[in-house]
Amino acid sequence: MAEISLKKVVKSYGRTPVVHGIDLEIADNEFVVLVGPSGCGKSTTLRMIAGLEDISDGEIRIRGRLVNDLPPRKRNISMVFQNYALYPHMSVRDNLGFGLKIAGQSRSVVAERVAEAAGILGLSDLLDRLPAELSGGQRQRVAMGRAIVRHPDAFLFDEPLSNLDAKLRGQMRAEIKKLHQKVASTIVYVTHDQIEAMTLADRIVVMRDGHIDQVGTPMEVFNHPVNTFVAAFIGSPPMNQLPAVVDAGRLRLEDGTTIAVPERLRARVRAGQKLILGVRPDDISPEGYGLMEDGESDRVDLLVDIAEPLGMESLIYSRLAGQEVQAKLYGPRLVAPGERLTCRISLSRAHLFDAGTGRNLEAE
Amino acid sequence: MLRALRVRQTALAPLILLTPAFTVMLFVVALPLAFSLYTSMTPYRLIRPETLDIFIGTRNYVRLWDNAAFWAAFWRTILFLAIALNAELLLGLGIALLINKLTWGQRTLRTIMMFPMMFSPILVGFQFKFIFNDNIGIVNNALQSLGLTDRAIPWLVDAQLAMFSIIVAEVWMSTSIFAILLLAGLLAMPRDPVEAAKVDGCNSWQVFRHITLPFLMPFIFIAMTIRSLDVARAYDIVHVMTGGGPAGRTELLWTLIARVGYDNARMGEANAMAYVSTLLSIAFTVFFFRKLMAARRYMGGAE
Amino acid sequence: MTRALKQRLSAAALWLVTFLLMVIMCIPGLWVVLSAFRPNREILARPPVWVPERLTLNNFAKIFGLGEAQVAIPVGSYFMNSLVIALTSTFVALVIGMAGGYAFARFRFRFKNSLFLSLMLLRTVPAIALSLPLFMLWSRLGIIDTQMGLIIVYIALNVPFTIWLIDGFFRQIPMSLSEAAQVDGCTRWQAFWKIEFPLAKGGIAAAGVFAFLTSWNEYALAAQLTRSTDSKTLPVGLMDFTAQFTIDWAGMSAMAVIIIVPALILTFLVQKHLIRGLTFGGVKG
Repeated sequence: MAEISLKKVVKSYGRTPVVHGIDLEIADNEFVVLVGPSGCGKSTTLRMIAGLEDISDGEIRIRGRLVNDLPPRKRNISMVFQNYALYPHMSVRDNLGFGLKIAGQSRSVVAERVAEAAGILGLSDLLDRLPAELSGGQRQRVAMGRAIVRHPDAFLFDEPLSNLDAKLRGQMRAEIKKLHQKVASTIVYVTHDQIEAMTLADRIVVMRDGHIDQVGTPMEVFNHPVNTFVAAFIGSPPMNQLPAVVDAGRLRLEDGTTIAVPERLRARVRAGQKLILGVRPDDISPEGYGLMEDGESDRVDLLVDIAEPLGMESLIYSRLAGQEVQAKLYGPRLVAPGERLTCRISLSRAHLFDAGTGRNLEAE
Repeated sequence: MLRALRVRQTALAPLILLTPAFTVMLFVVALPLAFSLYTSMTPYRLIRPETLDIFIGTRNYVRLWDNAAFWAAFWRTILFLAIALNAELLLGLGIALLINKLTWGQRTLRTIMMFPMMFSPILVGFQFKFIFNDNIGIVNNALQSLGLTDRAIPWLVDAQLAMFSIIVAEVWMSTSIFAILLLAGLLAMPRDPVEAAKVDGCNSWQVFRHITLPFLMPFIFIAMTIRSLDVARAYDIVHVMTGGGPAGRTELLWTLIARVGYDNARMGEANAMAYVSTLLSIAFTVFFFRKLMAARRYMGGAE
Repeated sequence: MTRALKQRLSAAALWLVTFLLMVIMCIPGLWVVLSAFRPNREILARPPVWVPERLTLNNFAKIFGLGEAQVAIPVGSYFMNSLVIALTSTFVALVIGMAGGYAFARFRFRFKNSLFLSLMLLRTVPAIALSLPLFMLWSRLGIIDTQMGLIIVYIALNVPFTIWLIDGFFRQIPMSLSEAAQVDGCTRWQAFWKIEFPLAKGGIAAAGVFAFLTSWNEYALAAQLTRSTDSKTLPVGLMDFTAQFTIDWAGMSAMAVIIIVPALILTFLVQKHLIRGLTFGGVKG
């Protein structure tokens, strides 16, 4: 139950900086997800909040208290590790109670809190087992239980689901979300999986190369990516990105195909400008088979490479201007390779990025 | 201020933790070695202490250059190591492959394998001196009882046979370290690549040559590195079995050092030889340690 | 030939080879052990006596100075010297090795690899080569022929390999366990003793056995740095049995058994960790 604040936080190993001055304000009870490809500095940032890495420069405050020089044990946070980090020589009960015991809590308090946490996570029957005797999902829950027994100011999660299989991952995602609702508290969660970020976060922090690219709610980040990187990273399948040049009020692709400039952006482009047109697969569909066909749109012809029928919808891999473009078809219709499809491209939901900087023209 | 302190603390921790280790090594090994280097540049004789103060530069080393007995021992040592280590590696590999094939009794055999590892080299020497004894040794007794020969084969008296006997003792003592490490490697080996190779049409030799052996290389280098840490313990064996005889025909560098230094009390010269033997051991260890590091990096990539 | 028959034959061949192997591994040692319990007369008999007619403890009684004692060899004090020297040097080497092994396993620092290699290279100096300067220095320091003198040397002999093994064992324990403990409220010191040490215990014990065996079995240095019953160890004492031209085979065999038994027991106790420590310490970078 605390706010966390990062000011110009820098981490460098020797002369090599890996986190370049991050600013981030996390509110009380907020669920914040740090997301980005491996090596973007998200885990390092989390470990600096935990106190497991020294902070090279800048300030980190938890509940208003400067924690830069505090060891982990004095920060009153708890952490769930990627490999769970359960103590292999201790039973589940002792794993859960370890932190309280170290803190010198009486035996009855430890037992009570362990029972409480075990109840919340459905571990009551497993208390006497050793970690080696548990399944992946159970280990994951013990790791979470160990975090909640201590009633910390904040929870830190470091890629907690990456060792689980796809089905279990979905299940645990839901449990983490429930947990956040049950034990209201600040959570900082690190993942490279954008689905986890979208489903769990109150706010997503997209990181790249030690910088923060964008901070926002899942919908903000999805609907208004500030640059091509965020656009490609958030959303699955990823957004199509087509290089284009502004020519006579239209966007000319490399093979000469032209597409209208979205109305809301007409004032922002000038002739000859090099841009990247970003359209999500959901927003390119064969005529009559789209999801949102009422908005502003334009037509484009696609040559189908392959189609993946998924039942009520199909994902279409096709070619446009020498580039692979993914499109979605909603409805029970089969598409054959080599087929030429006339598609509607939703301009109201399309984005234009500067070809040089990759920035969204609409981002300030 | 506080921050600076904390940062320095984590930088200081390994220094503090390693200080005792390096202090001991400095005091017991590095310093004596420096002293040894100085001594090797004096004509020091144990019975004439004042000779320690006479500095003669590299004269001892120059004299070694022309010392036939030294060179004989030097090359014999190299030959001895080459034969013994290769035999240990090949035998160890064979044993490991064999035990790996067994479906039961693996553990018992592995335990028996450890048997020679706990023997003191001096004991190994004694033991083989006993069994190779020409009058009462079990080897001659067995050969005679089986009617293969009716004379007492002079295992430790004939120069060639004595060298052979010493190598047998050395190989008996050290093969198990190779066998155990290589067996551990075989047991840790993932099955997938082997099966993939079989599916790809490799015969057993090709599987061994292209899949198993590359996987075992790091284990081979570990065994070699561990072995190279104390190759010189062969001194104990030779010392007991033949004492370098007959007529210096089994003299290794190490027994020669002991003879010159202690029996003849020519410390200056012995220290010069000791330095050569030290450099030999170091070169040996560095070579295999490098290989090990390279193999480790390569293994890391496969994971 | 049918496939089944072929398989049978190869299985039988496998067993034959294995059996031969075991015989070769065991016979030299077992022969010495057997001789320790045979009268000298039988050992020297011509033609050889293969099946012992009677077993006796006389050889042991003799070397301990009991019964018709002619060979007065102070095995008792050799044994005590060996025990004191091996145990003390092992304990100290373990403490130093644990500190060093932990440093290599857990910290990043400059020249790490070179420091590690230099430790190993200091170990690689041949004992006989090292004995020359140590003999001169220890004489001057007045610690020649003392238990202390040998203990110090054996600590140095054991530290590098102990560090190698313990470094390997600590590296098998994920860093995150210690980190989790620190987040849970431990100091790094507490995290070590409550989490990492209990997990590495088996490996540390194995490293201890290795160190003990090295000290217990060492000859080359002990032979030069000891002289009397004040500090002579069992391996050095073994050479008491060899006179210029005669060897007391029975007595020597009995002494060999005394040297082997403690080593045997210790090795079997920790063999599992021994193997694991040897391999994975080295392979996993």
